[in-house]
Amino acid sequence: MLRILHDTKYDFIKYWKTAAFGTIAFIALGMAILGVHAVRHQSALNYSVEFTGGTVIQLTFSKPPGADAVRSAVDQAGFAGAEVAQFGDPQNYMVKVQPKEGVMAAANADSSGAQIAHILEQRLGAGNKVTVARAESVGPRVGSELKTKAITAILISFVVTLIYLAIRFEWRFGVAATIATMHDIATTMAFLAMMRLEISLTVVAAILTVIGYSLNDTIIIFDRVRENLRKQRKESLRDVLNRSINETLPRSVLTHATVLAATLALLVFAGEVIRPFSWIMAFGVFTGTFSSIYVAGAILLWIEHKWPRTPESESKGTSRALAEGRRRERPTPVTTR
Amino acid sequence: MPLKYRVLTIVALCLVSIWALFPRNVTTREIGSDRLMHDVTVRHIPLRQGLDLKGGTYLALEVDDSKQAIPADKKADAISRALKTVRSRIEGFGVSESVVQTQGADRIVVQIPGIQDPERARKLVESQAFLQFKIADKTQSLERALPRIDQVIKQRGLTPLGDTASKTATAATKGLQGLLNTDTSKKSDSAKKSDSTKKGGAAASKDSTPPDSLKLQPGGAFSTLIEQGGMAGEFYVEASKIPTLQRYLADSAVKAAMPPGKDFLPGSDSASLQGKWYKTYYVVDNKAIATGEHLVDARPNQNTLDGTVVEFSMDNIGGRRFRTETGKHIGDYMAIILDDRVMGRPPVIQGAIGTRGQITMGGKSLADAQDLALVLRAGALPVPLRVAEVHSIGPSLGQDSIDKGMRAAIISVALVVIIMLVYYRFSGLLAVGGLTLYMLYTLAALAGFDAVLTLPGIAGFVLSIGIAVDANVLIFERIREELARGKTVRTSIDEGFRHAMPAIVDSNVSTILTAAVLYQYGTGPVKGFAVTLIAGIAASLVTSIFVVRTFYLLWLNRSRGAQTLSI
Repeated sequence: MLRILHDTKYDFIKYWKTAAFGTIAFIALGMAILGVHAVRHQSALNYSVEFTGGTVIQLTFSKPPGADAVRSAVDQAGFAGAEVAQFGDPQNYMVKVQPKEGVMAAANADSSGAQIAHILEQRLGAGNKVTVARAESVGPRVGSELKTKAITAILISFVVTLIYLAIRFEWRFGVAATIATMHDIATTMAFLAMMRLEISLTVVAAILTVIGYSLNDTIIIFDRVRENLRKQRKESLRDVLNRSINETLPRSVLTHATVLAATLALLVFAGEVIRPFSWIMAFGVFTGTFSSIYVAGAILLWIEHKWPRTPESESKGTSRALAEGRRRERPTPVTTR
Repeated sequence: MPLKYRVLTIVALCLVSIWALFPRNVTTREIGSDRLMHDVTVRHIPLRQGLDLKGGTYLALEVDDSKQAIPADKKADAISRALKTVRSRIEGFGVSESVVQTQGADRIVVQIPGIQDPERARKLVESQAFLQFKIADKTQSLERALPRIDQVIKQRGLTPLGDTASKTATAATKGLQGLLNTDTSKKSDSAKKSDSTKKGGAAASKDSTPPDSLKLQPGGAFSTLIEQGGMAGEFYVEASKIPTLQRYLADSAVKAAMPPGKDFLPGSDSASLQGKWYKTYYVVDNKAIATGEHLVDARPNQNTLDGTVVEFSMDNIGGRRFRTETGKHIGDYMAIILDDRVMGRPPVIQGAIGTRGQITMGGKSLADAQDLALVLRAGALPVPLRVAEVHSIGPSLGQDSIDKGMRAAIISVALVVIIMLVYYRFSGLLAVGGLTLYMLYTLAALAGFDAVLTLPGIAGFVLSIGIAVDANVLIFERIREELARGKTVRTSIDEGFRHAMPAIVDSNVSTILTAAVLYQYGTGPVKGFAVTLIAGIAASLVTSIFVVRTFYLLWLNRSRGAQTLSI
């Protein structure tokens, strides 16, 4: 039997101060970078055209054209101030045009793509074929609507999980898990700022997946805590928490390993379009693991300290869980063949 | 549940899944490289691919209220009526699996897979197709109004955009009149400028009346923008000056100063002279003598005399009205106006016209005529629509995404299999068996729900392979704990499954809740991602809890009470 980290007795909770300092420093650094971006680029976050409105054109060349050639062609086509960036390999370029005020940018998506491609083709000569691989254009109104929608989606998922956890566990666990989730969003935002990743709908989906994944991890640990609290009622919550984390450690390591393997495969092999998604998921595995132990766990302890459980609250909150536990602890009938 | 039924259930699930994924023949109409439609029968797995994988065009349309305000309560009604028109246009376009539906109360979403020419699709749905016949102005009303307009512009302090507009007319632009008036043969040669329009039956004179004797007032802001054209009511505007002109025209005081009862509309023609492009503008009566309301049919055609044409016919009521009206205007020029654009050069009405007519499109291709005919047949949109969102993905990019996504999926499956086999040995093998069924079930569920597979969807699927083993890991770790407490293999397996259950249920339900929120609020690719995630979690629950347990039971039966378990 291959075993890793079996029967460990690490005192995870002891390091909560260091952990808290580390994560706060990380978030603060991210926010500082956001501030710098806000000054330098007008907008703190790098939103995709889906949110800001505007036009994105992906051009594919048969030979690498060089960034300057693309940029001057874009300027010549009348899109001065457009963002030109290499996209993945040197044969692919991305041109991002912000909408001019009052002008219906959307109407021109395809024609501007064709226009730029045409000018480039003329400049680069017959040897280099230019194709418009992708052209997307979004009106500014749609963009702001989507932004509201994305924020609503995240808030609703908060509320839904909070309610679910309050029903399945107890409000203390629900609050701790929700704060851990907020922490994950904060660190992911800091990560986004550091990597200057573009926030697209897919990235929002990735953030929501990270939330789900981190919550998943928190629940696994809390489930152990719930179970151990029933068994060992003399132990302090701190010890129960530590024990639970240690007991679930092999599972955590293995699951994170498989998810990380899948995420790395996506990051390396699935191409440029899905890369921001993969980066966030890869980061999410770490922040999710961290927050389950040091945010959810620490907050649970703090809440316990602030509002200690009384017999009444226990009878309200945990009674169902206890009943369930008793049912589960019943000796199972020995099956005979 | 007895073991026999467990096995039967799994086999039945597999059979249903294989049936759901069995390749079947689908006949689709596709646009070939010649831009015409062909019926193509292909055999493929019934998994719908999203536009980002297949390549295609996505358009979101909303009511265009920039010209006239449309109250919010009328918008919803207008959208639902416009939906029919847009749908019949897209269906006429001949792309199978295209989707036309409303989104919210004020938006129409059009998805056309596989289309190579997004610009063509956009024009097709966006053109309001409001066909009008109006009489071109012969009374020089604009010329008479020019001093007044110039004065208004001066008073309002409107400045031209760019510096080109302030230049006075040069000799070169004066020569333009002569070129366009006399040289008809050259005109029909150049494809761009020769879109001329005329009514069937009436032999339109392409070289129209000589230029007007009245000279434009020099110097005024508006007067310098426009050049007298080749016929009454026709004007040329240099392409670079059009923004300035549009800016003047948008001003309310200028609007008021324009000749009453007349419209000043751009034409579809343009001409090039000495490296400069000129657009035509026409002054026409603002009251239409007829509209496309009574149009019953429109067909593209090509003939040697007129080039590409669209022949249309009207019903009896429309024909009768048209005959009376054109009878009153014999000798006048009739502008054929589609969506506030004069199509070609207005022809002379030489006699009363009945139910049949044609729109000549000059050097345009048959595909363009096909589109115009289609738009006319489908009828006018009740409200003008504008494109709020366009996404078009080339087919090569889509194929590239599929290839890369597949490669990532295969590699991640390989990695997960290796981890499970190395760590859990025989039990890991059972989990891998479960994982195989998991992939089969997930894909079948996607096919069954008619879900659309998108690139984020593939990413979600790859990710879910990693997450799917989580339930197995939880169970196996519990079984190990039970074994460590000295319980028998059979009891340990039972207890392991039982104890892991609450954690599995709670964690998966919370993930499903998040995915459901995504599904509710996401669009397009993100929705595809949410569906894949939900299908994945459901399949993962079934395989880890039910299928892998059955595998264990089978193994226990065959090994006749094994004392050790490889886990």
